[in-house]
Amino acid sequence: MEKIFLDTREMEHPEPLQLSLSHLKTMTETQYLYMLNVRKPIPLLEIAKERNFLSFSHQDANQIWHILISKNRQISLEELLDV
Amino acid sequence: MFSQGGLSLEQAPPISVVFRFFVTASIFGILLGLFLVADSFGLSLTLNKSVIITHTLALGIMASFMLGSLFQMLPVIAGVVIKMPTKKAMVVHILFVVGVIIQLYAFAYTSTPLLYFLASAYLGVGLFYALFLMLKELIQIKDHSSSSKGMILSLSSFGLAILFGIYLLWSLGGYLDGSLFLQIKELHYSFALFGWLSLLIVSVSFQVVEMFYVTPKYPIWMSKYLTISIFSILIIKSIAIFMGFPSQFITALLTILFIIYGVITIHRLSLRKRPTSDATVWLWRLGIGLLICSMLITLVSTFINIPMEVEMLNYLFFIGFALSIVFAMTYKIVPFLTWFHLSNQGYIEAPMMHDIVHPKTVKKHFYIHVAMLVSLALFIILDYKILNILGAILVLASFGWLLYNLIYAIKKYNYTQKYTEKFEW
Repeated sequence: MEKIFLDTREMEHPEPLQLSLSHLKTMTETQYLYMLNVRKPIPLLEIAKERNFLSFSHQDANQIWHILISKNRQISLEELLDV
Repeated sequence: MFSQGGLSLEQAPPISVVFRFFVTASIFGILLGLFLVADSFGLSLTLNKSVIITHTLALGIMASFMLGSLFQMLPVIAGVVIKMPTKKAMVVHILFVVGVIIQLYAFAYTSTPLLYFLASAYLGVGLFYALFLMLKELIQIKDHSSSSKGMILSLSSFGLAILFGIYLLWSLGGYLDGSLFLQIKELHYSFALFGWLSLLIVSVSFQVVEMFYVTPKYPIWMSKYLTISIFSILIIKSIAIFMGFPSQFITALLTILFIIYGVITIHRLSLRKRPTSDATVWLWRLGIGLLICSMLITLVSTFINIPMEVEMLNYLFFIGFALSIVFAMTYKIVPFLTWFHLSNQGYIEAPMMHDIVHPKTVKKHFYIHVAMLVSLALFIILDYKILNILGAILVLASFGWLLYNLIYAIKKYNYTQKYTEKFEW
């Protein structure tokens, strides 16, 4: 699986949402988005859910959110978590 | 928008809900500008000039912006949803606008008591309905943030300000004897300005300053206790006024809290992680700077008599504070909401936020806004008529420019929906 890495921790709102959505729109079955953010991006996760994407979110010990989203629903995103 | 509380796509309000209030605010701003231009040439025919200007600003402009922003920000900041927002916002909007117009007319032509009653009826029903819609959802939140708690206190303050306002209108209309008129008047503007307006800005800033401008968080003691402290002090002030006790020290305490908040906010904004050139940050800095100046003057005036010119400057600074923050928020909300809806609807050619409201557009508004404040401040100090005329024209230009930008965003939204293709993804 090809990782699309997006670190939005120092981006001003709503740049993280804009960038992540543009990645989701062009994503193929062999790619997944790996996003780092300081907040849980609820709207992005809602959009992903509505569009039938697979998503997984995890907050690490430093309070950073790791957001993984894939078009391919057959994979385990949890295994791709990098903490 | 990002929130721990959650925002689903159905929950994001349609753009008409927010834009109807913003457009209304801009139109009231233009009307205020026209009134000030006419007045600067000696053409206004009313004696109640100051009360008309105050209520056009506080209700027509500020309350419109605040209501529109609340319909947008409640799901974002507090994670609460107002169901069927389009219809409900329309009902609030109609009652509110009719109420404001009748009220201004009543102030201009004081000889018609019925107008005061009608103004109180329309404004009372419209605004209490809006408060009911918002508070009903807010108080049900299980896991409150400092912003959602602050919003409850701010809306409660607004409710009290409206109640006091109704008493004042009924007294002016001759329906009540008005024996408590002066006390209620002081509480009316204390709850409206310190409670509703300032408390709302403080509550919202706890989330948006950090979120929009990537700053360090506010100190926990501040986000946790500031809003409840301000509200409690306002309640204590009310009791003191009714009991006939002096309330200067209470007002002084209130101003000190706002000064501390202002200094910390300016400091937070100076610690932005990615300091880019953004006129909305300039507006925040200007607004908070003016809040500090206004509160310093209020603090001094509680202990010594200040000249009339300084008192007038104080009013101008406070108005400048509120308008600066409202403009900053509007220029963040409008492009985001337009882009968010179009993007989510799947339009391939959905304009990006910079295409809807370009940063240079906001900078132009910032310069007009600053020029307006400087002209009016110099007029207060120097008393040159030309500065009054210039200031009035700049008020007109400021709201005219804002209205133009709002209409541009609406046209862009409609054009994209009508003429571009949708993308299924």
